[in-house]
Amino acid sequence: MTLSATDEGALALEEIPAFLFQLLKEIPARAASDDPRVESRFYPVPGEDDLLVEDWKSLIQPELQELFLSAREVVRTDLATASENSGTFAMEIPKNHMESWLSALNQARLAIAGENQFEEKDMAEDLAPDPSDARSLALFEISFFGFLQECLVKMQD
Amino acid sequence: MPAVDVPDARTHEKTGVDAPWNVVVHNDPINLMSYVTLVFRKVLGFSKEKAREHMLEVHRHGRSIVWTGGREKAELYVQQLHSHLLLATLEQAPQS
Repeated sequence: MTLSATDEGALALEEIPAFLFQLLKEIPARAASDDPRVESRFYPVPGEDDLLVEDWKSLIQPELQELFLSAREVVRTDLATASENSGTFAMEIPKNHMESWLSALNQARLAIAGENQFEEKDMAEDLAPDPSDARSLALFEISFFGFLQECLVKMQD
Repeated sequence: MPAVDVPDARTHEKTGVDAPWNVVVHNDPINLMSYVTLVFRKVLGFSKEKAREHMLEVHRHGRSIVWTGGREKAELYVQQLHSHLLLATLEQAPQS
């Protein structure tokens, strides 16, 4: 897979192997986890004040849900524009979609980590992916999505 | 004589509301350090150096107070940090 910045400030991803493109396609679904452990991570309580927590759940949480959903939809739309050539894929992340990609990638990473209860020590493990092992694959996904996030952060720097 | 509102009746309560609040960001092993730094710059308007200092404080000490001030603005910052999926809370700052 090769990554480069276009003249328009987009991130071009080319020669994406089918295996990695499949992982990219799964970002919106991975990020939309309904696991309660993930929900509590996506919508943390803002403090100890009961009234504030109640207000937060009724007013802020729906706004955040809408924001996260919107980011996932942008990613889904961009992925639909990918082209295939001899078994590899190519696509671009436009400059004005990078914020949504950063959000969706972060959502996916946090959701996978939440579902698998990964901790700091898990993140330091050897990341050679083993598709037959769900845990190994999950760690690889987090690492791959993190790599893309790093690229997007650098482009925004 | 018409009734007149007494403006100083709630003075004490207002002082309580205006007491400073801290916006605290907590450590998360999944969020990338570079991403947290970028969010601090975007949301709080920090310089690259200041954002990195706070990010490292979060990473090394588990938390960092990134802003102190009025409650309304503190709530807004916490909301914005949550919108970037950072773990942030609001705490009343100790009164001097």
